[in-house]
Amino acid sequence: MAKTKKELNTKLYAVVAFFLVLAFLVSVCAVTFKNKYNAFHPDKVATAFTESIVNRGDGYNSYKNTLISKNYKYGDYIREYYMYPLIYTESNYKAGMDTEGLKGFNDESYIGDKTASDNGTLSGQVIDKMYPYYVQLITELNGWDNYNTFFTKYFAKLLEVREEVFGDKYMTDEIMFTALEANVAAYGDKLVGTEDVIDENSNIKTSTKTIGIYENKYGENCVFTYEAVKIDDVNDLEKFKESLDAATLKTYKVAIDDITEAKVVTVQVKAEGNTVVKEQKVTVVKIDSFWYVDNTNTDTAQLYNFYK
Amino acid sequence: MSDNSMKKYMKKSEIATFGIGLFGVALLTGWMPDYTATYFADFAFKGKGFDSADMSNAISIVFLVAGIVGAVCELVIGYLVDNTRTKIGKVKPWVGFGAVPLALISLLVFVAPDTNNQTVAIIWMFVIYSLYTAVCCAVESPANCFGSLSSPNPSERSTAISIASFLRSVGQSGGMVVIIVVGAVMKALLGSQQFKNAEAQGLDLLFSTAVCALGLILFVMIFFSNNKERVPFTQEKVSLKDAVKVVFTHKNLLMVSLTKLFGFGRGVYGTVSLYIAIYLLGSKDLKLGLLLPMGIGTAVGTLLVNFVLKKFSTKKTFILFCIYGASSLTILFIVSKSIEFGDALIIPFLILNFFCGLQHGNTNVTPNIMIADCVDEIEYKTGKRQEGLAYAGYGLFSKIASAFTKALGPWLLYTWSQYAVSTDANVAYATQTDETLSRILMIYTIIPAIFVVLQAVPIFFYDMVGEKKAHITRTLAERRAANAAAATVEN
Repeated sequence: MAKTKKELNTKLYAVVAFFLVLAFLVSVCAVTFKNKYNAFHPDKVATAFTESIVNRGDGYNSYKNTLISKNYKYGDYIREYYMYPLIYTESNYKAGMDTEGLKGFNDESYIGDKTASDNGTLSGQVIDKMYPYYVQLITELNGWDNYNTFFTKYFAKLLEVREEVFGDKYMTDEIMFTALEANVAAYGDKLVGTEDVIDENSNIKTSTKTIGIYENKYGENCVFTYEAVKIDDVNDLEKFKESLDAATLKTYKVAIDDITEAKVVTVQVKAEGNTVVKEQKVTVVKIDSFWYVDNTNTDTAQLYNFYK
Repeated sequence: MSDNSMKKYMKKSEIATFGIGLFGVALLTGWMPDYTATYFADFAFKGKGFDSADMSNAISIVFLVAGIVGAVCELVIGYLVDNTRTKIGKVKPWVGFGAVPLALISLLVFVAPDTNNQTVAIIWMFVIYSLYTAVCCAVESPANCFGSLSSPNPSERSTAISIASFLRSVGQSGGMVVIIVVGAVMKALLGSQQFKNAEAQGLDLLFSTAVCALGLILFVMIFFSNNKERVPFTQEKVSLKDAVKVVFTHKNLLMVSLTKLFGFGRGVYGTVSLYIAIYLLGSKDLKLGLLLPMGIGTAVGTLLVNFVLKKFSTKKTFILFCIYGASSLTILFIVSKSIEFGDALIIPFLILNFFCGLQHGNTNVTPNIMIADCVDEIEYKTGKRQEGLAYAGYGLFSKIASAFTKALGPWLLYTWSQYAVSTDANVAYATQTDETLSRILMIYTIIPAIFVVLQAVPIFFYDMVGEKKAHITRTLAERRAANAAAATVEN
């Protein structure tokens, strides 16, 4: 008797294949997210925070790992507390107010001729004029821990400098971010140096090589590595919570009672993989399942001085 | 004797699910190349301290090697498809069974190993992306040639291919929607800044790939369980040498494939779309504005071709659309030159961009229908049915043409147009001369128009139309009926 071959049940196969693939995708995504997303790991969040400061002297962006950024988009926090009060100064803006309908210096009526016709040259002049002041503030304040004073003074100065260059009072959050971030980037370039940049299509050199402060001290193209070498539990959590500044945390929209755990992570910074440059203690706190750097309890001044 | 060739074979749902299947494949394969490059360059080994120049060079070579792997696989898979004989068909097993490893490997492309060794990192990129390219070929190529097996009735087959091509072209851009939705969901769950932090680690790309891979499985499985191959495959084994010969020696098939090669410069407009937005229309944000009407025009054009094909042969339709395409691009050039560059040009430019997009529907649909007809002709002449290789040959020419486009576009922009690069750190885009602006406009309009005309040239030598096509269709239907009757008697 001839054997009859069974035909494939395509519908059953389709259902089984779909659920198998679904299970695989969900598992891989869950494991990868758990491993890669820094906020699940106190050591990784502390390391990322330190890395941001040391790599390019960028304390500004390091705040993206901190309590400020738990409920706020970091940029929105800066807008609300430091930019809008200056832009909507005539409307007496206070943090949290709706800007809809408020008249400020971002109104088109403040645009002067030079603003209207600028192709980037005058904006560049503003950025260049602000840079020495940026460096001065970093030096005076020993870094970025006192961000409140930094933002307040920097943006106030920016208003003056821009008016001097453009001859009008026009000001937007975009202008403020552009100037600040350009200065942050330039400061980083001074530390790490820059390479010649040649446009690959036209072969024109668009930027010339510079030697950075780090390179002078630790060698050309030096690389820093970071390792969390010690994690200490904060045993008396209640005492720790009592020591926190509730008013500041309120501005972050964070309630002290939400904190369920705290640790102090020691991050070791090495240059070229062997020379220990600094050890930085970073306080981290847990809210829900995520860890954040407690910037109100972490002193990073040494990370802005070790290369001097 | 009744004319079986004109009988309707496909259920209405099958026409829809064929398109859904191609949509699913395109959803993932349209997403992968660009976002893989972004992931490899910006996220895969972030913070590892690897030399950025070495990594960029390695990534370029990864994609070059993957292109070569893809071209070889195109022919090999075509040959293997033609030598596949199963109860569910010759193409379906490749699509249905291949979709599972394709989904899994695609996701693994976005899971980089945690290594501090740059050599290991580079080897991993080569292996994983070449593997993806090979598996992708094993699914995409057979899926694209399913249309020619869906029905022995050329008219019904054309309708199915046309609708499926429309859904495929929509699917190719689906990833752009997926990443927006995934981003919005992540933002809602994590908060704005924490989403930004996750985005900085490339996690949104991982989740978007998972969604596209899931879409692939869902839509391909709908196709797999609902669609049937209705053109019986021939039993003769084909040698690799004879198979490859078919691609280059069968006149009509070669002419269709040559349209890709002759028209390779059609795509150079993509190189300058950003500069058109900046210099001619006044804002770089208008780049998306340029792509949108063009994309809508392409989608509408894909549906429009189906109606034109009911009135005219494939040959006439192709030539008509080429003439239309070249004319619309020329009109766009003339109108743009006659209106001053700037705000006043925006609306007319975007409207005309829609009309220029219509022609792309033709290049998405008509060649696929012509290849299906060529497969019939080859079967009529040799007794062997070779969908796999016929579509693989076309795919191979497409890949070569795409490589030429990628070389020509930058040369036209940076050398021929005398485009000036900004050397001022504070000025993103340097001021250009009128001559350069005019040449940039030509790269967007006149040069593609020339290639649109050139791509029509081989089609003048294509003759699988009219009475010849009808005769072949009838004869094949008779042969198949006779073979089926003989098989019944034997059993």
